[in-house]
Amino acid sequence: MPSEIITLQLGQCGNQIGFEFWKRLCLEHGISPSGVLEDFANDGLDRKDVFFYQADDDHYIPRAVLLDLEPRVINTIMGSVYSKLYNPENVYLSKHGGGAGNNWASGYSQGEKLQEEVFDIIDREADGSDSLEGFILCHSIAGGTGSGMGSFIMERLADRYPKKLIQTFSVFPNQDEISDVVVQPYNSMLTLKRLTTAADSVVVLDNTALNRIACDRLHIQNPSFSQINNLVSTIMSVSTTTLRYPSYMNNNLIGLTAPLIPTPQLHFLMTGYTPLTSDSDINTQQQVNVRKTTVLDVMRRLLQPKNMMVSTGPDKSNHHCYISILNIIQGEVDPTQVHKSLQRIRDRKMAQFIPWGPTSIQVALSRSSPYVQSNHRVSGLMLANHTSICSLFERALNQYDKLRKRGAFLDQFRREDIFKDDLNELDESRETVDCLVQEYEAATREDYMQFSVKRGNGQADSKSEDSRSKTSAGS
Amino acid sequence: MSQDLNVGNDVAADASEISNIINEMIICIKGKQLPEVHDLAIAELSKMVAENNLDIRDSNMLSERECVQKILKLLSDRKEEDGKTVSDYFHELHRKLTLINCVPHMRHSLMTHLLSMADNSDDDKSSANEDPRSQGDNLTQILFCRLDSRSSSSSNQNEMELVNRNGAGSSHSYDSSQSSFGFRKQSLPNYLDATKMFPDSQHDVVMSAIYSFTGVQGKYLKKDVVTGRFKLDPQNIKFLTTGQAGMLLRLSELGYYHDRVVKFSDVSTGFNAIGSMGQALISKLKEELANFHGQVAVLHDKIQRFRLVAMSGIGYREDRDSGDELTLFKLLAWYIKPLHRMQWLTKIADACQIKKGGELASTVYDFLDNGNDMVNELVEDLLTAICGPLVRMISKWILEGGISDIHREFFVKSIKDVGVDRLWHDKFRLRLPMLPKFVPIELANKILMTGKCINFLREICEEQGMMKERDELMKVMESSAAQIFSYTPDTSWHAAVETCYQQTSKHVLDIMVGPHKLLDHLYGMRRYLLLGQGDFISILIENMKNELERPGLDVYANDLTSMLDSALRCTNAQYDDPDILNHLDVIVQRPFNGDIGWDIISLQYIVHGPLAAMLESTMPTYKVLFKPLWRMKHMEFVLSMKIWKEQMGNAKALRTMKSEIGKASHRLNLFTSEIMHFIHQMQYYVLFEVIECNWVELQKKMQKATTLDEILEAHEKFLQTILVGCFVSNKASVEHSLEVVYDNIIELEKWQSSFYKDCFQELSARKKLSKIVEKSEEEGVYGLTNNMILQRDQEAKMFAEKMDIACRGLEVIATDYEKAVSSFLMSLNSSDDPNLQLFGTRLDFNEYYKKRDTNLSKPLTFEHMRMSNVFALNSRFVICTPSCQE
Repeated sequence: MPSEIITLQLGQCGNQIGFEFWKRLCLEHGISPSGVLEDFANDGLDRKDVFFYQADDDHYIPRAVLLDLEPRVINTIMGSVYSKLYNPENVYLSKHGGGAGNNWASGYSQGEKLQEEVFDIIDREADGSDSLEGFILCHSIAGGTGSGMGSFIMERLADRYPKKLIQTFSVFPNQDEISDVVVQPYNSMLTLKRLTTAADSVVVLDNTALNRIACDRLHIQNPSFSQINNLVSTIMSVSTTTLRYPSYMNNNLIGLTAPLIPTPQLHFLMTGYTPLTSDSDINTQQQVNVRKTTVLDVMRRLLQPKNMMVSTGPDKSNHHCYISILNIIQGEVDPTQVHKSLQRIRDRKMAQFIPWGPTSIQVALSRSSPYVQSNHRVSGLMLANHTSICSLFERALNQYDKLRKRGAFLDQFRREDIFKDDLNELDESRETVDCLVQEYEAATREDYMQFSVKRGNGQADSKSEDSRSKTSAGS
Repeated sequence: MSQDLNVGNDVAADASEISNIINEMIICIKGKQLPEVHDLAIAELSKMVAENNLDIRDSNMLSERECVQKILKLLSDRKEEDGKTVSDYFHELHRKLTLINCVPHMRHSLMTHLLSMADNSDDDKSSANEDPRSQGDNLTQILFCRLDSRSSSSSNQNEMELVNRNGAGSSHSYDSSQSSFGFRKQSLPNYLDATKMFPDSQHDVVMSAIYSFTGVQGKYLKKDVVTGRFKLDPQNIKFLTTGQAGMLLRLSELGYYHDRVVKFSDVSTGFNAIGSMGQALISKLKEELANFHGQVAVLHDKIQRFRLVAMSGIGYREDRDSGDELTLFKLLAWYIKPLHRMQWLTKIADACQIKKGGELASTVYDFLDNGNDMVNELVEDLLTAICGPLVRMISKWILEGGISDIHREFFVKSIKDVGVDRLWHDKFRLRLPMLPKFVPIELANKILMTGKCINFLREICEEQGMMKERDELMKVMESSAAQIFSYTPDTSWHAAVETCYQQTSKHVLDIMVGPHKLLDHLYGMRRYLLLGQGDFISILIENMKNELERPGLDVYANDLTSMLDSALRCTNAQYDDPDILNHLDVIVQRPFNGDIGWDIISLQYIVHGPLAAMLESTMPTYKVLFKPLWRMKHMEFVLSMKIWKEQMGNAKALRTMKSEIGKASHRLNLFTSEIMHFIHQMQYYVLFEVIECNWVELQKKMQKATTLDEILEAHEKFLQTILVGCFVSNKASVEHSLEVVYDNIIELEKWQSSFYKDCFQELSARKKLSKIVEKSEEEGVYGLTNNMILQRDQEAKMFAEKMDIACRGLEVIATDYEKAVSSFLMSLNSSDDPNLQLFGTRLDFNEYYKKRDTNLSKPLTFEHMRMSNVFALNSRFVICTPSCQE
């Protein structure tokens, strides 16, 4: 069938946001938790078969593969009302059941060991599609399974399906709170390398920013994971809305991402969403204050850093700029308003753009689901390729360097095959990420055309103790 | 009076005979004397006869016989030169008189008077001259009056006429001043002649006038062969007085106009109005003529009767009134009205020569505004008659859709050669020259529409249902032809037409929008032909990928049909109405040399029946529109699915060679992203701003539309706007630079595939080498042979050279591309369409091109505008910019 997309959910965090994502899709397409189409959902304007396939008995089944090394989250999912939604054959739980222990290396090795079984599932799904367009991977970069096993699977996917697009929704750990996963900087670095080399497009979901937005914008004191995940699922569903509600443009994943990504490296995308409301808001205020938001309001707000789902830190030199922007606008939009807003943004220079090539704000007007009540007239999601995302990587580099200098917590890595001989993999990862940062920095300059990577000095190996930590970052 | 008719001539003859005899008698009594004296005597006598002779009888108790005896006695002493005695002659005369059938007491009174005249014949000569007025009295006339019963109450006018006629009788001169002298010179024979012919000539003149009224030549009036006007007959002119002649000529004018009207109303002359409306006019003219003839016949009748009476003798009807006698004066008074009418008829009919239909009606309509009520009424009558056939044609047309118009005079025409398929747009048209002035073009269009709708319903939708209240409407419409040219279009006729129009067009609209799903089809065309259904198009392209890239000759339509079907099945199109989907087809045009599938494959929407009638004419436009849209999709496909996707995939595969190819691929990546930006903005502009925005407009209009034509018109306009927006009908330069951009994309794709081919060749060579190294390591034979190293080096060198060449090739493409984009932007910026200007600024949103090419900022400067002499552009831009910032 058309441009199908297979979703892979890895690890606790990946499965959790994946779960939210599917819940949301079911709601938007009028599919009941058991996978049956609701009676009211028959207007035929949506395209379900990108993400679902239809079983013989009119059940809609997500093209989702659920992978985890420990049973907790998947058991929760399979214990929920949505248990009948998924194809049970697509749910893979490591028999070992011990998880990856927040160790990237452990996840990676287990991925390697389990690859046959895992790729049986993935291949079957891929074979079941008429024209598979790509994979969407949900995971966190800090934990063990999502990052480690995710990294492995990404590499394998890139090998096995070189013509298919690999997009990830990657959750970056919260920088504001001290993580109980001490090897998180290692995990992040190793995953970042795969995200850079194996993935085609990475949507960065920064827990730091998500928490901050939950606090500042939604006024939730201690945001729960479900509230954060609600935000994430909104972003995920809206960013795929043009695929699911086709209109004249941006109806496939490539068409959506290709204009955003100028070079194979610069494929880390930030998101922004406005207006933001939480579930509780909707419940308490009901439809009392349906805000009169205009397209211009939405587009302007999307350009404000405080609405970005990535916390990039202050840009002191003020040199960072947009490489590309795609705004997906939903709701009642007067088409003529769109180009007026664009003109306004241009005249006011509300956004700074790269100096080395033509770029602009793309706008995709999208239908929104008729089955989900929105209390906003217009809402917008921004997918942006912004050079300031490198500050995230710089931060990861710093943390990594701190840890690596001390050689801390490296034992548990050495236990796995990949680090048996040396820790070159870590250094290579660091170098890759460093190159990435360099490239992003270069992209702010006019001479980016002449850019070539300067190899940094590889970090000296340093051995250090690693400690196991219990929870993964994203979940 | 009835017996008088057969003896009328005798009466007239008798009267003249009697008057002759009396003349002779007077001559006998008085002897030969001056004419005036004689006249006086006659006048006296006639006066006596005319007034009353009873007095004479009463005062003079002598019998007629005694009187004659006495006169004879008095006359016996006189002698004539020829030997005959006067008394003998008188006696003879008296005998003659008695022989004539004459009223006895009149003869008696005459004799009494003659006796007294004979008595005073010597001494009262002078006294007779005292009353000159009496000379005007005409004995014959009096006698005639006496004989005719109707002439008893002779009016003053009658007397005046007599005076005139007496004067005219002696001279043919038109100068009235001579008439008073003329009779003086008149000799006795002349005088006798005049008296002799008098009753006849009086009648003849009037008759002649009356004849002339109907264009018949009479004794005095003959037609001029050339002009057709009447003129006096030179042979008989001498019998007419000046006044008579003048009056006759004046009266004859009526005859002239009558003749002209007759001519215009005669179909054989070729001067008539033509067509059925012309026929209506002619019949109306004929009716007018018939009326007129009736009036003339009455006159004629009158005069005939009068003459009869005059012939039948004086005595019988002298007591009966006879004042109503027709005279030229009377006729002059009478002829004014008919003349006026005939003149106007002539004028109108003259203007209508060889005209027909609406033109005829317009011509007559021009006469309508006349202050004269008679004219106004006349023209209205004529116009009503003329509009009769027109109104019938209209009602037939708008109630049944029929045209029976053999004269081609109806303002709606049906073109025979046009088939049913083009019924809606081309079959029926307005025949503008035939459109009457009083039918405004809007109304004419409505009428055209109504009949067209009926034809459409019957011929194409095969709807047989007739309109409700059809007969009533027909009655209303045909009952009042005059309403069609009413000044204010608020008559029942107009209302009926409006009702017909409303009902019919509503009916058609309902049928088209309802069972025939017109709006759905328009939406379908918008989605499939104008690429609104994005998922369908991308899947279609994906399905046909191989076919599209094949040489044109190897593409077969039947292969494509199944691909189209599968694309329809597996996208959201599957939820569409099968009715709509069945109309969609893929066609393959005849390939030209070098064409590939992309160039010759296109989608088309096949419409049948009623839809074809509506939409067939727009199909070429859709075809034209599809091409640039399809080409744009082609470019997007090449860019995203091939160039970009390959780059992303190969970047991973060729990571190891980054140092060698890094520079080239970096350049490639950036160039690709530049093109990608252009194509996406372009697509966005065309698909969203142009098509989608206008589609929204069109939808609004379609919702509001009350007639089918409103929808079709809006649709037509929609297509035109899009044509402009898709750069189809723009300046050639825009299209050209766009084409160069596209060509460069194709170039790039070719370049890239050869580039990657080289890279992978090199990569596999390296892999092979390292494998050999590994193998040799295993075998324990270390190292490579010099030959191998040399060969490898050679290959590496060649590869490096290839990369250099490739880099240069890429630069060439990039330069060409950039030039094309610059010129495209230039033409956008200097365009006078604000939308295109805005599109230009959007394409260069971050002013990248502007910084690179200083020329690009020029179109926005005042200098440029002044130079290019487009002040309109200047002002519009100034007005437009702030509004866009709102």
